This record gives sequence, C-alpha cells and structure tokens, in this order.
Amino acid sequence: MSREPCAVIGVGQTRHASRRKDVSIPGLVREAALRALDDAGLTFADIDAVVLGKAPDTFEGVVMPELFLASALGAAGKPMMRVHTAGSVGGSTAIVAAHLIQAGVHERVLTVAFEKQSESDAMWALSPRIPFQPTLVAGAGGYFAPLVRSYIQRAGAPPHIGVEVAVKDRLHALRNPYAHLHMEGIDRAMVEASPMLWDPIRYLETCPSSDGACAMVLASERAARGAARPAWVRGTAMRSEPTMFAGRDAVNPRAGQDCAQALYREAGIDDPRRQLDTAEIYVPFSWFEPMWLENLGLADEGQGWRMTDEGATALGGRFPVNASGGVLSSNPIGASGMLRFAEAALQVRGMAGEHQVDGARNALGHAYGGGSQFFAMWIVSEERP
Amino acid sequence: MATPDDSEVLKAPYALQYTYTRSTGPVLGHFFAGLMAGRVLGARTATGRVLVPPAEYDPDTGEAVEALIEVGTAGTVTTWTWVDAPAESAPLSRAFGWALIRLDGADTAMLHAVDAGSPERMATGMRVRARFAAEPRGAITDIVCFDPVEAS
Repeated sequence: MSREPCAVIGVGQTRHASRRKDVSIPGLVREAALRALDDAGLTFADIDAVVLGKAPDTFEGVVMPELFLASALGAAGKPMMRVHTAGSVGGSTAIVAAHLIQAGVHERVLTVAFEKQSESDAMWALSPRIPFQPTLVAGAGGYFAPLVRSYIQRAGAPPHIGVEVAVKDRLHALRNPYAHLHMEGIDRAMVEASPMLWDPIRYLETCPSSDGACAMVLASERAARGAARPAWVRGTAMRSEPTMFAGRDAVNPRAGQDCAQALYREAGIDDPRRQLDTAEIYVPFSWFEPMWLENLGLADEGQGWRMTDEGATALGGRFPVNASGGVLSSNPIGASGMLRFAEAALQVRGMAGEHQVDGARNALGHAYGGGSQFFAMWIVSEERP
Repeated sequence: MATPDDSEVLKAPYALQYTYTRSTGPVLGHFFAGLMAGRVLGARTATGRVLVPPAEYDPDTGEAVEALIEVGTAGTVTTWTWVDAPAESAPLSRAFGWALIRLDGADTAMLHAVDAGSPERMATGMRVRARFAAEPRGAITDIVCFDPVEAS
C-alpha cells in the first residue's frame, strides 16, 4: 500500500492551567492553532481541512464542538470533522489528519484537540447513573487503581516506583514553560506525604485537571518543501477492544500490544528498544509508565519498573520518557494524546527547548483511552520515509 | 432466542444532568456586561462589518474581530413571524412577534421578540427599540423585548 509522505511542519499548544478563565473555549483552541500556524509560517488561508478532537461531550456540555468551533479555527468553506475515541482522542485525531495527507486528499491539514476541564466535572461525567447498572461513582482513578495493584503484584515491583515516576515527570515539567504543574522542589518525600486517593495511587501520583489545547499543521511532501525541520510520520496505528470480556488482560491489554507491533512494522522498526530514542507515553497515573513500557514492548513483561528504577526514563537516561512532563504535569484530556504526539514531533525536530532529548531522531507518541481500550500511536522521525 | 412480549421488557427513565460553567471570553464577556449597563456592543471585523450579537472571529474570514463598538438600541425589522399562543418558555406571555432586528450601526440582524400587540402592527422595515430589564443579569434576556417605534 503506497502512501504519500506526511510531515509535521507546525506545532502549537496553550499554556495549560486549572482554569483558563481569560479565554472562551473558541479562544482556547484558537491560541494553540495560531501557534501551530505561526510555527509553520502559514495562515488559516493556507489550510485545506480541519480535524478536531476532544473527549466526551459531557465534559463541557458542548454537543457538536466542531460546529461551535468552526469559525475560531478558520474552517469556513473547508472540510471539518470531529474525532472521538475517549482519552486517546488527541492521538487518533492526529492520525486521521495524517491519513488525509497520506491518502493524497489534502496538502495541509490543521489538527486541533482540547479540553476545558474547568467548565465541567470530568469525574462525574464519567459516572452517570444509568438504569439497570450499578453506578460506578469512581472516576478514572478508581477504575485504574485495581489494575495498578495487579501490576505491582504480577511484576513484583517495589512500591516506590510510582513515586519515582511522579517526581521524574514533575522535574521534567520544570523545563517545559507550557506545563500546568511547575512544582519547585518536588521530591519523593512530598509525593509520599500526599494523601492516598485510590490505594495504591497517591494524590501526587495522579494527573491534574487542566484547561488546554494542542494543534499541529500536517503537510504533504510538496507542502513541506521549504519547511524548517519537518518531523516525518513514519508510522501510525490504532486499535481498540471491549472494556470487559472474559479473559481480558486489562493490565497489559492485547489491543495495546497489537497496536505497537503494527506501528513498528509500518515504521520499519524491528528493534524498537534500540531504534527509538525517546517516547511520550500517556501516563495519567504514575504506575502506567512501567505498565505501558511493557505493553509497548520497550521492556520485557514484568521488567518495565526496572527501567524507571535505573533512571533510564529520566532526561539524560538511555530512554527518556515524557521529557515534557507528560500527562502527570498537564492533562487537558482531549488534548493530552495530541500533546504526546506533538511533543514527540518537537523532539525529532530538535525544537523541545529545555526538555530536548539530545540527538533524538526517532520518537514514539502514544495515547490510550476509555478503560485501557482505545490505543493510538505514531512514530515520527527526522528522516523522510 | 425466545423473545419476551413487550409487557415484560423493563424500561426506566435516565436523566443525564451535570452542572457546567461557561467562560465567555473577552468578546462575549464585554457584550453581556454592556447589556447590564443598557448598551449594545457589536464586533467590527477587519472588513469593516459590524456583527451584532458579536462573534470572536469573523465567520467569513476566520480573522479575530478588531474592536467592540457601541451600536444603537433601536433598529429595523428585516423579517418576522407571529406567535398567537406563546409557550411557557416564550419571552412574553401574550401574543408577540419573533423578528430579525438590525440595530442601527450593525450589519447583521439578531433574533428577538417584538411586543406589538397584534400582527397588524408588524411589518418588514418597521422601527423598533429595545426595552431593557429593570434587574439585568448579564444575559440576552436583559433585553426583555423590542417595542414598535411609531413613525412621527
């Protein structure tokens, strides 16, 4: 199957914060979109189509956000669509946009994802009282805590691993001016002293609730000509599986494993541990770093926690993970996946500033959503496919 | 598979409700603040059009609007319809007209109610003036309705 080459030529994101009261929802997405266009040296007039993503409509109570936001994103007279795959949506939105380029349909596509969590309550929006079903009343943390506990038991991991990830990602965030959390002096004692929210997940091992948006300009080979430092899309993959079925391994889901293997095949990568330089992985609760390292095949099963423990996943380590500070430091849910993809692109473009991974040439962007049931991933490279 | 008859199939109401907030942003925020003060603000675009109610971005070009400017509280009906039996949710409890009203100084029309008493007093091209609420709340309902302005 032949594909047109696709490059990321513009990246933009907002300052992420608990409450961006200074902007409306249109103003928020606009901020990210203009930064991406500016990075690409383009204006809305140069864009062929707009692909928008966000998490469930119940999060802000805006039904059909693509209609609501069309004028803020300069979409008048252009194709515009909305993508939705729960928490992985930021990733799958970027992938849909990339496919429009790879299919040869468009030359330049603007893709945007956002969440304005301050306008709603994402936790309760995830727990509606549906008749004939027990009410979950747990939020994401309550759902994932038993999976984390199961991982710790299976892997025989020491209890401090989650704390280490929480500290490491917040230290990374201090180098990222856009990150929501800038926790000067963060250390293990601070994390350990924070309240146990959903045993074994402490408050500081949890992502924040953020307002924010992310945008990218994707371009065909022709449209990327002349672009300074494009990031080439080497592979994309999406997989899903039901939330619950007999025999499901929710700790190390099959859909995630299959997604990663399909991704590596498409990108021509046969040894991801050697060929990838860094990864932005969707880690909303600290223990998901080792869990996803294993799911992605970047560590052997039961061994992911050792990479964290050895410091391999910290900046300066042999495989830095979430150099941007990750979801643990900024979580505008709908945008969180796209931030992973965009940060991966910034790394291979050498444009990550203070959180640049030295010599990053190939980077993985990863997102997951729902009850670990949706996966979206891409690999970007400084090298054209 | 054996299928139960309809009387055996259970159903239950499912009310989905949450509390949301909205940040109006710099453009609509000023528009609503203006209404509280009995003023109507429109957005002037780069092409010189004045949008009332204002938009943050020019719907034609996608450009940010350039400025908020005050427009008149009187205007002209560009088209209308009549409501004989108002629903409970209607802005007026007696029969009234819905009209698109282009305020003086605006290039676009907005939908609002006209308290004309009878359809015979309604006409495209008629002049109307905003009636403001005694206790404004910073919402479009701070304009209670429009009253016909008789030609003098």
